[in-house]
Parts: sequence; structure tokens; C-alpha cells
Amino acid sequence: MSSRVEILNDGGYRSDGRKQYELRDIVIDLSQRGTADGSASITHGLTEVLVEVFGPREAKVRAQTMHDRALINVEVNIVPFSTGERRKRSRGDKRILELGSTIKSTFEPVVQTSLYPRSEIDIFVHVLQQDGGLLQASINASTLALISAGIPLHDFVCAVTGGVHSTAPMLDLTTLEENDIPHVTVAVMPKTKKVTLVTMETRLHVDRFGDIFKLACEAGQVIHKEMKRAVSERTQKLVTAMEMGPRVVPSADVGDRDAMIDDLNDY
Amino acid sequence: MAATSKSERAYIQSALHASPPLRADGRSLQDFRNVLLETGVSPLANGSARLNIGKNPEEGGGGTEVLAATKLEVEDIETGDGVEGGRLICTVTCSPAAYPQLSMNALDDLQYDYTTVLHQILSHPSLHPKNLGIIPRRKSWLLNLDLVILSDAGNTYDAMFLAARAALWDTKVPITRAVQYQARTVGETLRAVEESMDVEGVSPSGFDTRQIPVAADFELPDYWDEGEPLEGRDLWPVCITLNVHEAVHFLDATLSEEASVPSQFLVAFSFPPSSPSRVQAIRTIGSGELQPSHIQTLVQEAEKYARQLHTALNAKLRDEDIRRHQKAKVKFANR
Repeated sequence: MSSRVEILNDGGYRSDGRKQYELRDIVIDLSQRGTADGSASITHGLTEVLVEVFGPREAKVRAQTMHDRALINVEVNIVPFSTGERRKRSRGDKRILELGSTIKSTFEPVVQTSLYPRSEIDIFVHVLQQDGGLLQASINASTLALISAGIPLHDFVCAVTGGVHSTAPMLDLTTLEENDIPHVTVAVMPKTKKVTLVTMETRLHVDRFGDIFKLACEAGQVIHKEMKRAVSERTQKLVTAMEMGPRVVPSADVGDRDAMIDDLNDY
Repeated sequence: MAATSKSERAYIQSALHASPPLRADGRSLQDFRNVLLETGVSPLANGSARLNIGKNPEEGGGGTEVLAATKLEVEDIETGDGVEGGRLICTVTCSPAAYPQLSMNALDDLQYDYTTVLHQILSHPSLHPKNLGIIPRRKSWLLNLDLVILSDAGNTYDAMFLAARAALWDTKVPITRAVQYQARTVGETLRAVEESMDVEGVSPSGFDTRQIPVAADFELPDYWDEGEPLEGRDLWPVCITLNVHEAVHFLDATLSEEASVPSQFLVAFSFPPSSPSRVQAIRTIGSGELQPSHIQTLVQEAEKYARQLHTALNAKLRDEDIRRHQKAKVKFANR
């Protein structure tokens, strides 16, 4: 425990056994929770974020609504036992407010808010476990939750973190790596290849930035594939359930019955 | 907290007084909805549990979902807030997703109410676990119990107490060993000379009571060991909410049932293994009035329900213990 953990060893392996450009395991759960219109939970390795979306619905504070668009409201709740050290953050904590407003400005251009004037879309982010890549996981989970809620988006938003360890770029950083190396979070819209968020709080050399930025955009495509697969599977399940759902076939003549069943199959 | 109209309330109330009593989902007055419980959901916490009452089966949502976790922190008794023998603090957070119609201020008020009730009941000295001290008069454990209400479909108090009990049952306290630091004496190099000269030096014998060693710090003998279970885990209380309307009382109310009933009666029971059951707390919630004789019968009825709930919960917790500590090879064989 006293020896310093290597960020990237000579064999090309990182502290958790991954290679340089390897992303952590992604687990996506789109099952319904509570009374939310849409909910999604994403796990990147050990970082677990659950997002629930309500809306579009009537705003709680009428004064904040806009006459031509929907208002996007993001609330972040980090549970105290999400990190190794217990930290109770109040709702007004600056870091949490900043995280919320970053997510909001990421989704402002993506959600088709002009379709729902004078209404509100609430995004509630719950961070259940943190091991690096918090903003990345929050954005990915929010995209999935918005899709699960059926809110029209221009495109997916896929986010990933990237960092540079001396000259070696790395993707999808854990807490250990985030504390040690300069890193950037990039959120891309995969189809249009537009970038909707770039944020960095550490110092990175200008020459290195170009490489890691390009890499992160490519990694966004990979995450998009995973997210698309999860959404397709979920939709397929729902469609199957709808097709196999209970049918009421009222007692009718044998002749009529065939026509009834044919109608139901068409539906 | 559901908004119900007068006619809806009257409808629910008259159904309760019918014979046989009727409830919207067809349950009897004493029936609980399905309770789902999983322990060990948060690996970073010392103990954790996730509980859901009334989730729609077949991958539906809904239900009252509570996430509970305990974390242990070391506190200094002399210089910090530590108390001899350790202490326990409960906090409840309500997720805005559970109460989408409430403003932030109303949510904070609700959080505060739940926190007060839970903290007052669970931090009572009669329930205090005995292995929360580390070094007497120096260091002790602070046990933080955090609960998060992720969704609310009625009966939150019962859910919170069940989740809290499960998380406390699951809590492991790391085993510590007191260490004493001893400065190296200056005359060490001259020891050989001293021994031959038979000079009286510092006696290294442990039986020497002139200098009783005082532990100054502690260490973990085994870094990877999770520790021993929290002491007194059989004592944590089980809470039953009785929803009372005139002469009728029922358990596990949904949101609209809770809104239709003027008074709720909360009783928390502790069942020590070899003693008679104890009432840990009684609370009345709501604007209704209860006659003292009625309260007596309610407490007796609640004891019966709480005992059943307690037995069921213990059985499930033991199952969870077995499931999680199943050896890897058995899991692989059963895959």
C-alpha cells in the first residue's frame, strides 16, 4: 500500500488492468422506476449514476417558464456514501450546482424544446457510486433517460473523459487517474459529429490537447453504439410485450371471430 | 401526499367500513404489498440495503423505494466531537424524483421531519451498539446511517425502518488493535555495559504496574478484513404504521389511502432475543383524535404485526447473508 501506483506501466497497462484506450465496462438499465416518465441507470466500471426524467409537464414555478420553449431543470443528488470517504453535500453546494448547470447547457441545444412551450422538463440525477467520470456518466445516463421518456432529441449525446499521462493519451479515467493527470470531458453528438460540451479544469499542454480531443470524439462513437444497442433491446422488449399483451375477444360467431383476430394482428 | 378529492376520500373510507372491508387493490386490511430487499448494494459503504415495497411485478416501476447505507468514521474524543463508546447519526434525504410535485423547500421540510423521527428512535441509548469504541477516552466510531427515498408510493416510515434495520444488520465494524508508541531510549548503545554493571534500567516486563501502557493510536490488523458485525443487531426496531379511521385500522397504505385517513399511528418495537418485546417509540401523525383505550388496543395489535414483520425480515436477512457469502465455486457450479 505504500508504493506509488503507476498510472501507466511499461507493459502498457493502467492501474485497473486496462490498456490505454480501453473503456470501462458499461452496464445500462432502462427499466422503469417510480413514477418517472423516463429513467436510466448507467454504470461505467464502478461509477453508477441513475437519472429520472419528468416531463414535459406544467412548471412548478410558473415565472421561470419561457413562452416559446420548454424549461430544462437539472437537479443533482450525490448520495453521501458514493465515495470512499463519506461527504454530505447540501443541495446548494457549488460543485453540485455547477454540475447541474453543465448538464443543462449540454442538453439545451439537443432537446427539441421548441415543441413544448411554457412547460418544464425535469432531469433528476442520482449519483450512487463515484469512481471518476462523473460528468461523463451523468450526461450518458441523462441522454438515455430522455430517450426513455420519449422526449424528442436531435441526436444522442455521448460523453467520455480523456487524459494525458506525460505524452500518452488515455480514455475513461478512474478517480485515481483523474487526481493525477490533466483530463478533459467531451460530449459529442455522434450522427452529426458536433461537440456539445468540452470541459477541462486542469492544465494541459496545447500540443497534447488536439490528440486527446480527437480520441475522445472517437470514443464517443463507441459509447453511442453501446447506448443504441441498449435502447434497441429495450424497445424490442416493449414491442414484444405490446404484441403479446392480453386481448379481449368477445364471444362472437365462428365466422366473425376470424375477422376479429386478423384485425388484432394488424394492430 | 396524493391530492385526493372529498368524494375519493369518502369512497375509500366507506369501503374500509364495509363488510368485508375492501381496498382498491383487493388486499385485506393486514396485507402488505410485496417487499423486495437486497443487502450489500453499495460496496463502498460498511453496510447497505435497498428496499422496495409494492413494486409492480414483471419489470414495472413504482413502489416505495429506499436506499440505506452506513459508513463508519473515526472520531477523536478529546479534540473532536467524539463521544465515549461511539455514536450514531441518521440522515434521510428525499430525492426530488420521489416527490415531483413538491418544491425544494417543502422537500427540505419533509426530509427534516423524517430525519428527526429516525434519528430520535434509532440513536436511543437502549439500542446503542457496544462495539463502537476504539480506544477508551481517545477514539471512537461515528456511525453515519444515510437513507435516500428514491420513490414514494405510501408507507414510507415502515420502508425506512426496514431499510435502516437491514443496513445496520449488514454493517461490519473493522477490528482495530490498539498500539502504543515507545520512544527509543538514548542509552541503547550503552546497554551491554549497563547489563554487566547491573544498573537498574527500564523494566520491560508487562506485569510492571508502575507504568501502565496507555494506547495512543490504533491500527487495523488485517487491512482486507471487513470486520465483525455491529453488536446488538437483533435489537434494531421494526416499525409498523397503523392507519386508523374510527374503529378500523389497516396496514401498508398507498398514497391515496394515506390521504383519506385522518390519523396514523406509528409504533416501533424491538424484539430482544431472550426478553419480552419492547416498545421503542410511539408517534401519532395527522389530525385525527385517538381515545386512550383505543391506543392500548392499537399498540397490542401493532405488536402482533411487528412480530410477524420481524420474523419475515430476519429470515430474508439470513438468506441474503447466505447468498452473498456463498463461495465462488458454488456460484459457478450453480450458474
